Amino acid sequence: MRTKEANVLYPEGRVRDPSAAAVAGKYWAIFRTQLLNSLAYPIDLLGRSLLIILFMWIFMNLWRVTYGATGARSIAGLTLADTMWYLMMAEAVMLSKRDLSETISEQVKDGSVAYLLNKPFNFILYHFAAGLGGSVLAFGGNLIIGTAVVWLMVGPPPGMTGWIFAGAAVALSWLLDFCFSALIGLSAFVVEETNAFRWIYQKFLLLLGGVLIPLDFFPAWLQTVSLNLPFAWIIYGPARLFVDPSLARLGRVFLQQGIWLAVVGGIVWFIYRRAAARLVINGG
Amino acid sequence: MGSHLAFVLALWRTNLLSAMEYRVSFLTQVVGMMLNNAIYFVFWIIFFARFEEINGWDLVDMFFLFGVVATGFGAGTYLFGNAVRLSSLIASGQMDYYLSLPRPVLLHALASRSNASSAGDFMYGLLSFGAAVIFSGTFNGLMLLRFALGCLASIAVLISFLVLVQSLTFWIGNTNLLTTNAFNAIVTFSLYPITLFDGTAKLLLFTLIPAAFIGALPAEFVRRFDLLQLAQICAGGGIFLFLSVFVFYRGLRRYESGNAIQVRM
Repeated sequence: MRTKEANVLYPEGRVRDPSAAAVAGKYWAIFRTQLLNSLAYPIDLLGRSLLIILFMWIFMNLWRVTYGATGARSIAGLTLADTMWYLMMAEAVMLSKRDLSETISEQVKDGSVAYLLNKPFNFILYHFAAGLGGSVLAFGGNLIIGTAVVWLMVGPPPGMTGWIFAGAAVALSWLLDFCFSALIGLSAFVVEETNAFRWIYQKFLLLLGGVLIPLDFFPAWLQTVSLNLPFAWIIYGPARLFVDPSLARLGRVFLQQGIWLAVVGGIVWFIYRRAAARLVINGG
Repeated sequence: MGSHLAFVLALWRTNLLSAMEYRVSFLTQVVGMMLNNAIYFVFWIIFFARFEEINGWDLVDMFFLFGVVATGFGAGTYLFGNAVRLSSLIASGQMDYYLSLPRPVLLHALASRSNASSAGDFMYGLLSFGAAVIFSGTFNGLMLLRFALGCLASIAVLISFLVLVQSLTFWIGNTNLLTTNAFNAIVTFSLYPITLFDGTAKLLLFTLIPAAFIGALPAEFVRRFDLLQLAQICAGGGIFLFLSVFVFYRGLRRYESGNAIQVRM
C-alpha cells in the first residue's frame, strides 16, 4: 500500500513522490500547531507540572527514611542525592509523555478514523507529531519545577553532560512509548475494550521501567529480566544516564532503544497496514 | 429515609444491569484493574524484601493498607461513579436533570453512574485483605467488623473530599485541573505508610488532603483495635460527609442551567 502523503498528483495526473523535506515539513507543522496550542494555556501547563512536586516530596520522605534506616551512604552505587535526581528525571519523562492510546482507540471505535485515513498524512505519524508537540512543553515544565524542588531537597543537579545525554535519550523514549501507545490504540480493531492494556502498560513502566524505584535496587534476577525488556529503556535508560553519564552507557541506551524501536515500531506498522486494509466503513 | 434507600438500590441495580449488557467489556476492565493493582503492589514486595521495614511499617501493613484503600476506593467509585466527574456535570449544566426530579440531588447525581473498573479495585482490595490476614496470622470476627467499618469510613471521606473539591465549580467555574491534582494527591498519599511523614505533613494529611482517613488510619485500626482510632475514623467520616453536603447545597444555589436539551436512555 502506498501511503497517501507519499503521493502527489502532477497536473497531468501522474503521481510523483514528494521530497523528504516536504513530508517532514508537514509533520513539523502538526508538531508546531500542537506546541502553540499548549502554549495558549500556560496555567493549565503549569498546573499539570505541579504533580511532580507531590511525587518528589513523597519520594524524598520514603528514601530519606530508607537511607537513614540502612545507615549506608549509598545503595547499589547511588547516594540519596543520586536517587532523587534519578527519580526526578524518571518522573519528568513519565509525566510529560502523551498517552495517545485512548485517542487512537476512540477514533477506531467511533469510526472517526475513517475521516483521518483519507487526509494527506499518515494516521500514525500524525498522532506522533501531535503528541510530541504536547510532550516537549510538558517536559520542560516538569524539568524546571522538578529541578527546583529536588535542588532544595538534596543540593545541585548532575553536570551538563548528564542533561545532554539524558535529553537525547528522552527523545527516543517518547518515540518508543508512542509505539506502545499506538499498539494499544490499534488493538481496538480487534478487541472491544483497551483500557486494561493501557493500565497494565502504565504499571509496567512504573515498576519494570524504574519510575518508582531505580532498577539497581532490584534483586539481580529481576534486574536482568527488566533490562531485557523495552520498558527499562523508556524510563530507566535516560534517568540513569542523567546521574551517571558516560559514553559507554549512552551507547548501550541508544542500542537498546534502537533495537526495541525496530521491533515494536515494525509490529505497529504491520498491524496498522493490515487494519487499514481491512477497515469497513458503514454509512457516512 | 427508607424510600431514599430503595431509590439508591434501584439506581445501583440499573447500573449493574446496564454494565451486564457489555459483559465482556465489564469483565475485561475488572480483571485488568485487578492485574494493574497487583503489578503496582509488586513494588512494595520488592521494596520490603530489600529493606524489611520503614519506621515500623512492614509488608503486612501494606497488605492491610491496600486492602482498605482499594476496597474503599473501589466500592466508593463504583456505587457513586459520578463522584469523579461531578465538576463537569456542574460546569456543563447537566445538573438540570437531577434538579427536575423529586429526589435528593447530590445522592441522585452521584449514584447515577458506576465505573466498571472500580469493581476490579474492590475485588483486589478484598484479596489484599485476605493476604494480610494470612500473613499476619491473626483473624477473628471482630477484625472483619473493623475492616467493614474502616472501609465505610474510607468511602465516606473519599467521596466527601471529591464532592468538596468539585463543588468549588459553583464558585470558580472550571475546576478540571484542580480536580485532577486533588484526586491524584489523595490517592497517592493514601497508598504510602503514614510513618514516612513528619508533624506538619501529617497535619496536612488529616485536614487539607485527608488521605490518612482513607488509608493509614483505618488500616491500622483494622490490624489492631484502638478506641482513639475508632473515634478518629468516625469523627473524620462524619465531619467530611457533613461538610461536603453543606458546601454542595450552598453552591447549588449559584448553579446556572445550561438550557441544554438532554436525553437519558
